[in-house]
Amino acid sequence: MKRRLLGTLAVAALLASTALNAIGQDKVVLTMWHNHPEWKDRVEAILAKFEAVNPTIDIQLEEIAGPNYQVRVNTALAAGEAPDLFMRGPGPETQAAAEAGYIVDLTDKLDISGLTDAATRASTIDGKVWSVPVLGSYTVGLYYHRKIFADNGITPPTTMDEFHAICKTLQEKGITPMIAPAQDGVIPAFLYMMLSSGILGPDGFDKIRTGEKKFTDPDVLEAAIALKDMYPCFQEGSLGTPYVEGKALFALGQGAMLEGGSADFAGFQETNPDIDVGVVPFPAAKGGKPSTVTGMEGAFAINAKSAHIDEAVKFLQFMLGKEAAQMVVDNITLTTTKGVLPSNNRVMAEMLTAAESRDVRVFYEFPQTGDVMAALQQNAGSLFIGELTPEQFAQKLQDAVKPAPL
Amino acid sequence: MAELVTGAKPIMARPRSHRGGGRNTRKYGHLWFVAPGLIFFVAFMIYPAIFAVYVSMTGWTGLGNDFPFVGFDNFIQALGTWPLYRAAINNGIMFICILLFQHTVGLFIAVQLNTKPKFMEFYRAILFMPVIISLIATGFIWTLMLSPHIGFINPVLKSIGLGFLAKNWLSDPNLALGTVIFVSCWNALGWSIIIYLAGMQNIPEELTQAAQIDGASAWQTFWRVTFPLLWPSFTSLTILTFIGSFRAFDVVYVLTGPIGSPAYRTDILGTLIYRTAFGGTGQTSVDIRMSLGIAMALIVFVVMLIIAAVLIRVLRSREVDA
Repeated sequence: MKRRLLGTLAVAALLASTALNAIGQDKVVLTMWHNHPEWKDRVEAILAKFEAVNPTIDIQLEEIAGPNYQVRVNTALAAGEAPDLFMRGPGPETQAAAEAGYIVDLTDKLDISGLTDAATRASTIDGKVWSVPVLGSYTVGLYYHRKIFADNGITPPTTMDEFHAICKTLQEKGITPMIAPAQDGVIPAFLYMMLSSGILGPDGFDKIRTGEKKFTDPDVLEAAIALKDMYPCFQEGSLGTPYVEGKALFALGQGAMLEGGSADFAGFQETNPDIDVGVVPFPAAKGGKPSTVTGMEGAFAINAKSAHIDEAVKFLQFMLGKEAAQMVVDNITLTTTKGVLPSNNRVMAEMLTAAESRDVRVFYEFPQTGDVMAALQQNAGSLFIGELTPEQFAQKLQDAVKPAPL
Repeated sequence: MAELVTGAKPIMARPRSHRGGGRNTRKYGHLWFVAPGLIFFVAFMIYPAIFAVYVSMTGWTGLGNDFPFVGFDNFIQALGTWPLYRAAINNGIMFICILLFQHTVGLFIAVQLNTKPKFMEFYRAILFMPVIISLIATGFIWTLMLSPHIGFINPVLKSIGLGFLAKNWLSDPNLALGTVIFVSCWNALGWSIIIYLAGMQNIPEELTQAAQIDGASAWQTFWRVTFPLLWPSFTSLTILTFIGSFRAFDVVYVLTGPIGSPAYRTDILGTLIYRTAFGGTGQTSVDIRMSLGIAMALIVFVVMLIIAAVLIRVLRSREVDA
């Protein structure tokens, strides 16, 4: 009697464990790395939508702060411990990873017909698709606090001369005209990109990439001069202000203007929910037009060593779709899916309007100008304190260009 | 009693052989105890070092599996770039400043503590605490304190009427390196106090007493009797400071970022190598050159080894036995 009972119990336990095992095995866990901790909740909301439609897939998101992100991903890739899905800069970055065999060729696996032209071009390298921008694109212009401007009777600048006039007015009142966290050189690099984009436009920029034009040409040199002239308008200690602190300072209203992108707005709201800002294209240097620059908010690639490539593909296809894109543009940043417009986000709408002025792609998404970004970051400080003349600065940038046919 | 009468053979104590068997165990048995540590050391120190030397002779960028052999090109390139020397000069300045600080302020405090005041243990603990706090945490706290926007050093200076001293500590090109050195000195003070204190407690009191009986002033007693006997402490401290200041990275990276802002004034060997090897500018990784970074690190290692060996030899030869 006892033996029979034990026997039955044993069989029951075996069946139960097999059943549990089977249920456990159905849940696929995908790990995902991204580089915007301030967006975590909003991205999780989109992931939750996906998980609701696909109950067997669970996505674990890890957000790593921007400056550390590249180092961690590269180290993880080299060690074979990278997550299933990770963000990779489109263009040269993705190409390097593809050549190293780290990522999956997505050409025949994903339908990218819904992407905008710029995004499609960003995703395709030599006819193959290695990564897709799904968490939006960003456009960079000039943010300004509407209240500070209204209180002082000023309107947003369209030229650098207007900018300096505003700078003078605000400084007399003890208000910091512009926040520019310059410790790691990222913001000054973007400032230069916009100033030079205003002069070059998309066609002029293509000429830089083929070598027909140079950063040292007299017309483009105005951008370097304009950048240097901006320095006195920055907040105190700008050369020692870290990027994250600078964004927080602006969000808290400690400066009237900030060069920023559509991707920054969500972070401002996290710091200061009552923030009231407007966006305009960046003012033009001599000989230029007000302009913006646009880049992909990182394209996502699938780890070649992932055990769940099909599920990861499913996820990326969902993210390319309209539902996910609408959530992105309403809550996070501009999107790369065609035909999706912000439904209730004034700031994003203003950003889109600004981009209609003169929009140029960011330098580091192209192999010819990939190194220029690093040269900008590393030399801006010397330009500001006068160790480099604008001509020398422009020469350093030109030295980093690798001209090639488009 | 009964056992003796029956004539049963008593059990004699046999000579015990050594536990575990013969001479080999006696000679090499201790190696078993060393083995775990040795394996760890080889796996985590020796093997990576050898691998690093190998990688430094290839053109590996840090991504992918391409290891083209380039011989000594990386070393030649590293030795030909001005940033390496600029960073080394910054390290050198840091070393000299910290050394002076340690051997003056540190020695002074150690002498005071050696008079065994009340609460000596408390002072010693407080003064040693900066050494124990994680360097990253130290860096972050000082960044906050020194910030012109959210820090408290400048507001405090202003409120006590020293507003003219409230500067942009980390962003003024003339002050940034000094500020970073100051934080490093603060961090390292504990070492000098502990080492000097330990050294002084090894000096027999009779010597100082004899000097005083002979009519030496406190000053003369210190410089003619105490300090020469502290020479071993001086040597240890100098070597430690040398190694520490040329290996510095954490505090500087947190205080002023990966590109040694402003305008490379605080760029040291640590941040230069990190930036070269990992592309610390953050936005793109197309400029990383892992093998070049490793070559730089190896050059620094060899130079430091030589200098440290010379320092030890020179300083040790001047030691006096008590």
